Amino acid sequence: MDYFVLSGFGYWKYYIMLLYYRLAEYPPMVRFCAVFTTFFLLAIVVLIFLDGVRTYRNAIHARSDRRARRRYQQAVVEMATTAQNLDPDVIQDRLDIPEDYKPRPRFVRPILQMLLDIYPKIKDNINKANWREILRAFRMQVYFERQVRSRDTRRRLNALMNISDIDAELKEAIATRYLFAKDAKLKIYARIHAARYGSSYPFKVIEDDPSFRFSEEMQVRYHNVFLYRIKNRLSMPNLVQWCNLNPVNEELRIFAVNEIRLLKLDKSCPELLQLLRDTRDERFACALIKALGELKYIPAEHEFFHRYASASFAERSALVEAFGNIKSDRQDVVDFLVEDYRQTTDAVTRMKLLSTLYDYGLRGRIAYEDLKASSDEEYKIFFEHIECDLIDNKKYA
Amino acid sequence: MREAIIDFFNFFVIFYSGFLVLSYILMVILALRKHRLHGIYHNEKNTIEELRQSPYATGISIVAPAYNEEKTIIDNVRSLLSLDYPDYEVIIVNDGSKDRTLDLLIEQFELEKVPYAYIEKIKTKPFRALYKTHSDNPVYKRLTVVDKENGGTKADASNAGVNVVTNPYFVCTDVDCILDKEALYRIIWPTMNTGIRVIAVSATMRMSNGCKVVNGQMREVHPPHTLIPLFQDLEYARSFYIGKTALSTFNALQNVSGGFGLFDTDVAIKAGGYDGDSFAEDMDMIARMIRYMCDSGESYRIVQIPEICCWTEGPSNLKILSRQRTRWGRGLLQMFQVHRDMVFNPAYRQYGMFTLPYIMVFELFAPLIEFTGYMMILWLFLIQAINYHTIWIVFLALYCFAQFLSLSIITIDSFVAHGFKKQRDYLWLLLASLLEPFLYHPLNVFFSLRGYWKHIWGRRMVWGAMTRKGFQPAEASVTNGGEAGEAAEDASAEEEINA
Repeated sequence: MDYFVLSGFGYWKYYIMLLYYRLAEYPPMVRFCAVFTTFFLLAIVVLIFLDGVRTYRNAIHARSDRRARRRYQQAVVEMATTAQNLDPDVIQDRLDIPEDYKPRPRFVRPILQMLLDIYPKIKDNINKANWREILRAFRMQVYFERQVRSRDTRRRLNALMNISDIDAELKEAIATRYLFAKDAKLKIYARIHAARYGSSYPFKVIEDDPSFRFSEEMQVRYHNVFLYRIKNRLSMPNLVQWCNLNPVNEELRIFAVNEIRLLKLDKSCPELLQLLRDTRDERFACALIKALGELKYIPAEHEFFHRYASASFAERSALVEAFGNIKSDRQDVVDFLVEDYRQTTDAVTRMKLLSTLYDYGLRGRIAYEDLKASSDEEYKIFFEHIECDLIDNKKYA
Repeated sequence: MREAIIDFFNFFVIFYSGFLVLSYILMVILALRKHRLHGIYHNEKNTIEELRQSPYATGISIVAPAYNEEKTIIDNVRSLLSLDYPDYEVIIVNDGSKDRTLDLLIEQFELEKVPYAYIEKIKTKPFRALYKTHSDNPVYKRLTVVDKENGGTKADASNAGVNVVTNPYFVCTDVDCILDKEALYRIIWPTMNTGIRVIAVSATMRMSNGCKVVNGQMREVHPPHTLIPLFQDLEYARSFYIGKTALSTFNALQNVSGGFGLFDTDVAIKAGGYDGDSFAEDMDMIARMIRYMCDSGESYRIVQIPEICCWTEGPSNLKILSRQRTRWGRGLLQMFQVHRDMVFNPAYRQYGMFTLPYIMVFELFAPLIEFTGYMMILWLFLIQAINYHTIWIVFLALYCFAQFLSLSIITIDSFVAHGFKKQRDYLWLLLASLLEPFLYHPLNVFFSLRGYWKHIWGRRMVWGAMTRKGFQPAEASVTNGGEAGEAAEDASAEEEINA
């Protein structure tokens, strides 16, 4: 007699047939529920197995993390914060890395976790040369190169982010290949990485790509990139040129104006003023007004007067703040603010105007006192509010 | 006739359950996909480091209404003030407390009354005063206390807080909630990494019963060791990890929890703020914000994030649970009554065409259908018409499905959110999932029906006092829900007056 040996899919087929014939006499509902129950029981078994594996892996990881910390943490912190540059051999000796150590995830993962925790705490008084040597001793560069080259997007992205988190090194050519990657996030992080560590002029890729969306996340990351490049005396983009880029990429232009303001590049003010004269875009105009105000560019005041009458609510608010920031102590500005206070009925605008006058030098303060003396009883609270030191008026409304 | 009724009910239940199960399976698939993508594209440490020093970090205001919270207020405000974020303020709204809530705040944080020009952008009960600190402590400078007359609802108090918000986004929370130290980084990030305006962000919330809290800070996370909060923990996890996550993948999120959610200040004010008369004010608020965005033709997104940002104290006994669920049931019905014009209205996009109809069929009608099912089984039992050969396999299939769902949640929690550090804590959730269909679910059905009943018959209902056990002093770091702070007097219980 021949016997069939079941294997692989055969088992399933057998089970399904068994279910079908055994339950053939039962109503369809019972047969359906039997299949349903089988499916979910199997799913439950799979999930329990996954949870078990995860639990086991977590335990292993936790143990290796503890071991890495116990073994290296103190030595790494001491060497990284030592003022004098240590010899690479001394660093190797202190770390005493085992001979079978390889730049593979199994070995590097706990060390990377430790470095990620340590770096933010010591980065302000770190000896960069020693830190680089420590990373070299752990062969982090080789590890990151392998990770960035891997096919797994998650590994690539995490590697690119971790490099900047611990200020590690990576060959420029490796990240550059992803500057136009299909995966949007990978493209973004490769560009940020290139912008941070690029040795020549790594910003051309942004300037030449009008479709590149410049979200707030990008602004945060690029601002940090600029700070890093300034600190390390690397080349910076011409931000005024970015302000003149294709108007389609509006976010990038606004970011460039904000960066001029934050990095206090006051030599760019004449160009910003010209841009303000030419623009009709509200958000761009607000960014320009804010920048000119905070950079205390007095010649901009004339344009502010000119613009005020036809400005939107947001622009007016920015203009009042800008007058307050410039503080040129001119009587015509004070008269203008007082006149606007008398004409406006909006409570928030009134508060902004009063706050600006209150901080606007001696002339402003005199005008403020006059307004206070002549104000109605119901508006007295505005003046008391502004005079109160405990309230931050800059953020009001 | 009898056969016709039974046949109709059979087919109705089969199709209804079939669709429900199918929708859950789809949701699990969508949620798992979203969690996987989140795992690939999100690196939390990197995000926090990038934002920590950045001048681009968006300012956030935390609005927390307080009513008779003298037991916990100081610890909780300290907890809120100790969060890690570069630009945030804490606004505590004292909603006319009858106890020493305001006095304790003034005393502890060296507050003094300031002449504040309060502009009522959203109508509330009369504002009394605003307090700021005169202390040199820079942390206390983040604190603002608004004192107002009691409005009877959390919504009214929240609106008063929103009126003094100075940042573009605000987080609405309860003073009894324990926030994760890095919660604000997590919740603001989705607003920054998309080109579309994000009007609200919902974060995952879990139960604080059973956790170790010291000085208002979460030290150790454990599951509740009593049944009702344990069931609720599982229910929250299911809702956040599967339901809300799946709905947010196609921008159809129905609700941002009142316990912890981020809102766009400008849109919230233009939408009219919270509805003081609503019993589900958080759900109502989202409906109003979506209405405003759709009516003004703007694009928007509402996002759910998987990270646990907040732990809240769940009802510890049946009485409080009943009060809470009755209010929720009532609020749901009220929400559909108020926003009925949005249902199946293409002008309101996914929300009108999918979310509201789905909630109506599978949440609003579900208690009615389930209750009918219980009655039907009882009737069939009495007339001896139950087919015992069939019924067990139907129940087994549904029970297996419920266990599959719960295990999916546990897997997500363990893989993505790392809810509990110790794996054995998950056994408690497993225990809850085994018992939930028999003990907890029927109770919720009953409480929801009670809420509908009260709404239909127009019984007036004021917010019941949530009995707080309180957190512990620093010296005695014991577990929340322990014996340290015994339940406060359940003073102003639910008050029902025939309208």
